[in-house]
Amino acid sequence: MKKRTETFSLGIYLLFVAALTSSMLLCICLGSVSIALSDTVTALHNSLWGLEIPAGIAKSIILNVRLPRVLNVALVGAALSLCGAAMQGLLRNPLADGSTLGVSSGASLGAVLALALGITLPGTTHGGVMLMAMLFAFLALVAILGLAYGLDRSLSTNSIILIGVIFSMFASSLINLIISFAGERIKSITFWTMGSLSGTHFGHSLILGVAVLVLGGVILGYSRELNAFAIGEENARHIGVNVRRVKLIILVAVSALIGICVSISGTIGFVGLVVPHMTRMLTGPNHKRLLPASLFAGAIFLLLADLVARTLLRPVELSIGVVTSLVGAAAFVAIFWRTRKAG
Amino acid sequence: MSKKTVSLFLCLLMLFSVATAAAEGTTFTVTDMFDREITISGPVTRIVATEPGDCEILYALGCGDALVGRGLYCDYPESITALPAVQSGADTNLEEILALNPQVVVMNDMAHSTEQVKLLEQNGIPVIATNANSLEEVYENIRLLGKVMGKDTEAEALVAEMQTTFAEIAAKSEKTDKTIYFEVMPLEWGLWSAGTNTFMHELAEICGMQNAFADLDGWQPISQEQVIERNPDYIVLVTGMGETAVDEVLNRTGWGDITAIQNGAVYNANSYSMTRPAPRLMEAAMDLYHFLNDIVDEEVPAA
Amino acid sequence: MLKGNNITVRYGEHTVVDDLSFTIEEGQWLMLVGPNGAGKSTLIEAISQGVPYSGAFQLDGKDLRRYKPNQMARKIGVLSQNNSVGYGYTVDEVVGLGRYAYTTGFLSSADAEGGEQVQRALEATGLTELRHASVLTLSGGELQRTFLAQVFAQNPQLLILDEPANHLDLVYQQHIFSLIAQWLKTPGRAVLSVVHDLSLARRYGTHAVLMHQGRCAAQGEIAAVLTKENLHKVYHMDVYAWMQEMLQQWR
Repeated sequence: MKKRTETFSLGIYLLFVAALTSSMLLCICLGSVSIALSDTVTALHNSLWGLEIPAGIAKSIILNVRLPRVLNVALVGAALSLCGAAMQGLLRNPLADGSTLGVSSGASLGAVLALALGITLPGTTHGGVMLMAMLFAFLALVAILGLAYGLDRSLSTNSIILIGVIFSMFASSLINLIISFAGERIKSITFWTMGSLSGTHFGHSLILGVAVLVLGGVILGYSRELNAFAIGEENARHIGVNVRRVKLIILVAVSALIGICVSISGTIGFVGLVVPHMTRMLTGPNHKRLLPASLFAGAIFLLLADLVARTLLRPVELSIGVVTSLVGAAAFVAIFWRTRKAG
Repeated sequence: MSKKTVSLFLCLLMLFSVATAAAEGTTFTVTDMFDREITISGPVTRIVATEPGDCEILYALGCGDALVGRGLYCDYPESITALPAVQSGADTNLEEILALNPQVVVMNDMAHSTEQVKLLEQNGIPVIATNANSLEEVYENIRLLGKVMGKDTEAEALVAEMQTTFAEIAAKSEKTDKTIYFEVMPLEWGLWSAGTNTFMHELAEICGMQNAFADLDGWQPISQEQVIERNPDYIVLVTGMGETAVDEVLNRTGWGDITAIQNGAVYNANSYSMTRPAPRLMEAAMDLYHFLNDIVDEEVPAA
Repeated sequence: MLKGNNITVRYGEHTVVDDLSFTIEEGQWLMLVGPNGAGKSTLIEAISQGVPYSGAFQLDGKDLRRYKPNQMARKIGVLSQNNSVGYGYTVDEVVGLGRYAYTTGFLSSADAEGGEQVQRALEATGLTELRHASVLTLSGGELQRTFLAQVFAQNPQLLILDEPANHLDLVYQQHIFSLIAQWLKTPGRAVLSVVHDLSLARRYGTHAVLMHQGRCAAQGEIAAVLTKENLHKVYHMDVYAWMQEMLQQWR
């Protein structure tokens, strides 16, 4: 019997890696400041082979500013996109995403609370914020799904989105409330909610890298179960999926990943919504292909969005969220239009 | 009691106080900084100012006693914090202001508050709108408030003092091509710097320096790479971030080759005196001059 | 094979299944019949562990609650009433998921006979031609056959069906029922199904449980259960006379 494989072949993976690598190189070569390609290549080449790097602007900017930023942007993009794809499958809802479901708002609320109350993890600078962001992302997800389930047992698209929007508003009013009580810390909190990838360093890359590897790995490992959920939760139970356990594991992994991203980069809307959707048009809904493809596509999408943010109005730098929201809001309307017309 | 009844009551009260004021004083007209003709019955003994800069000017003119209310963020001089605070900006609470029963209200930035200004004026309270983004405009601001308060002489003296101070600093400062990078928002939240049409830009010029981001207009978000490329000779932090701010900047990755970092020429300035349209700009200029010329601060007498 | 002992399901105050006991053995096709609201679908939900219940089901002598989900899925396959798919999976992918319970471990899919089982299920349901088609493009009958193929690929011993041919044209109804009858011919298998249409129940069933307001009104061999008296007790009308009257029209 001819067996059609569900997964991508090695060749396609190499193609993905090539696309991602060239996007990263492009983003390292282009930026707010123009640096000669030869200097960029020398800096990269010499650092890779441990050779002496000629001091100067190229070294400072390329190796210390652009490289960590590009790495972090790619990792955040990959993580957000993967989370969006997983939630869209798990909830069988093409509009599900950290930002539409209010998970990101929950994470922000947790982070702001950590800042306001001065919650810290001993030995770390941002551990408290990160932990609270993860915790509140999960609580938000549970609260939203619980409410939606109480309202409408089938967890239909519209009721989830509605509750997500309501929850986001609720979370942002709580954030405002905390800010008005926070007094001295007021400035820090107000601006934290904006978030920025511009000051991120290799330490963040390490955290994000481990998170994507471990939590992303867990999500990828549940591709089959996600397929079952995407076909229908009842059907998933009938074919032997441990529905409660798998759901819990995926929700924990997704909220932890979103919490980590939000605590490092702030809320970046719509990546998790748009990228998996576009990817699905190319790969089909099978998560064995959709998840890895979303991972790469999310990284590339956010890299390009960041490139636009950095270079469009130089020396002024746009917020990356502005770029993704512009693209995302338009795509959101298009998706909503299509799904409404389809059913 | 309903809102309507309150405002009606307050209106009557206002009419009464305006009437008494007119009886003992004179009516005069001023032109505020948005070119509006405002008629005021003086002398003004009850005034509310919502912006920190205006409050500081009023104190400097010796009118601190006439202030009956302040905007929430007005905190200088310290004695002002004893006054009742009102919300300012977009959250301006008209009832709070009306309850203080002022003769005049000084507000800033008409863009946020055209409706609020109208409402106050309908309630019989003249509103003076100020808007100073350059030293020239600060002088205008001082003269305007001097006129409102009947302190023209004091206002002229204050303006002259400021002009002399800046001229002295400029005379002492050698004109150089060295650059200052002003950081108004830290890296953690995305860098912002200040370009032309800011006090920082003018203060740099007075001290004989160039603003590293003179190609920007006002406050703008900027890219980290730009700072590294422009390689400023001095870095002045106007972020209000506290004691560890300088260390944080000195230890930023990728910034090691910047001249200012190598020379340790990073200064954590008083973000209030450097950004508020007020006489304290003199202090800001002195502080900056001392930093740039490596003069260890003696106790600078309060302005 | 499967025994239900004193099964009770409550939704709040409301008792939907009330102290019901039944047994199904190899080779039997047990029909759950009764008017709307009798608790038939709820009983099936309880077997597939979809609702909390009191009492116990014994599957091959072991309490059903003590089975892991994948162990249970290898023994019991369920075909629900309404199946719809939100995304454009292929028929192959949906049917292939029927093998989920046989793939063990985290990432592996070491299911040696999986491909063959899927192939046979597709053939049995006549879907081989459509295997690469998106389920979003299928007709209602084709979609129901896809899920039937999935449950065939699952290769359970007990097949549970909730109105398997509901909403389907007469031709598809007949087709689905004959496919199931064919499946039942292999020894060691049994079928439990909810059926509204009494003539279909009579035609294919070997045994029946007649339910009324959550209770068992009668059970046993099909002919002994679907009697004029029993049906009258439950439906409050003369079902025989009504069917006969309908058939008269055709003659």
